[in-house]
Amino acid sequence: MKTDELIRLLAADTLRQPALQRTLMLALLPALALAVLTLWFGLGFRADLLTALATPVSVARILLAGALGIAATRLALLLARPEGPQTARLWPLGAVAVAALGVLLWAFVTTPSDARQMATVGKTMATCLVTIPLLSILPVAALHYILQRGAVTAPLRAGFVAGLAGSGLAAAIYALHCTEDSPLFYVTWYGLAIMGVALVSAVIGARSLRW
Amino acid sequence: MAKQVDAWEPLLAAANAGDARAYAEFLKAVTPVLRGIVRAKGRNLGDAGCEDVLQEVLLALHLRRHTWDSSAPVRPWLYAITRHKIVDAFRARGRKIDLPIDDFVDVLVAETGPDPTEAADMAKMIGMLDRRSAMIVRKIGLEGGSVAETGAALTMSDGAVRVALHRALKTLAILRERHVK
Repeated sequence: MKTDELIRLLAADTLRQPALQRTLMLALLPALALAVLTLWFGLGFRADLLTALATPVSVARILLAGALGIAATRLALLLARPEGPQTARLWPLGAVAVAALGVLLWAFVTTPSDARQMATVGKTMATCLVTIPLLSILPVAALHYILQRGAVTAPLRAGFVAGLAGSGLAAAIYALHCTEDSPLFYVTWYGLAIMGVALVSAVIGARSLRW
Repeated sequence: MAKQVDAWEPLLAAANAGDARAYAEFLKAVTPVLRGIVRAKGRNLGDAGCEDVLQEVLLALHLRRHTWDSSAPVRPWLYAITRHKIVDAFRARGRKIDLPIDDFVDVLVAETGPDPTEAADMAKMIGMLDRRSAMIVRKIGLEGGSVAETGAALTMSDGAVRVALHRALKTLAILRERHVK
């Protein structure tokens, strides 16, 4: 088949594909809603949720994780485009990381030294490290679906960012249940859970996002 | 060489909104440029081999055209896809290639292409499609029929022909990759 004939063939295919943003909303929002419901019915929200939402140090968890999730989602949408790796800006992710480390440092300084270890280890480390990755599955899968429909030219990076996005949002949701309000706990263990998910997502992305 | 002043954005925007004529014009406008890029990068593949790679690039940009953000310029998007597919094609043919994107700016435009090689020829891949898809592809691509004519010949609705054509092109892209590898 000559190239001119191929062009004629391609031009005849006018079936419209939905824009990526649209697909993102259609896939990610239901995934997040399901994650919230899973948490609600599985573990329940914390009893003092309303009080916690008025406590800055507790709300900071949701804000930090949510900000990471949103910044990474936007970045993932960019990396779904072929020229994305050239135009993507990393500073929003950096800003969230710096803010998280700032909160961690602040907590380290203001927590009495004999209470630091207890605050860091907490009581629910295992639940946290299991639940955040579980809640991440659907949002991360939704983001991988978007990337699959896009044209990813940096699969490892795109997979990593999708992992950060999905697990960041999942961590923000998990914070509705978790009662550990010390940054020594949440920056450490939420952070670890998020990084774990991001790494797995990167490895999956590197294999599955080629085209 | 006269710079191809970018009338590409409005064309692709119209194409993505469903304008087949604008899309054909877009493809005709970019093809010589892409051919020039592929030839400049793949001299050792021969002209026919380059035409294979060019067709792979065209198929890829077709199936990913919805990833172009209509508020952004077309060229970076187009070159990123082209680069990706060229690297891919060379890897599949057992060659390594390093392709800085900036290099794309100054390549010569190549207007005419030879027939593609026998090995990767689309005609062969079309034979691997199911009977109806193959008929649609032949009718429109090789015989120049319209969607409506094809639908009438196969007693299918225009919509069904479009869906079948889109699926067939997706399958062709996959078949091609596998076949070359």
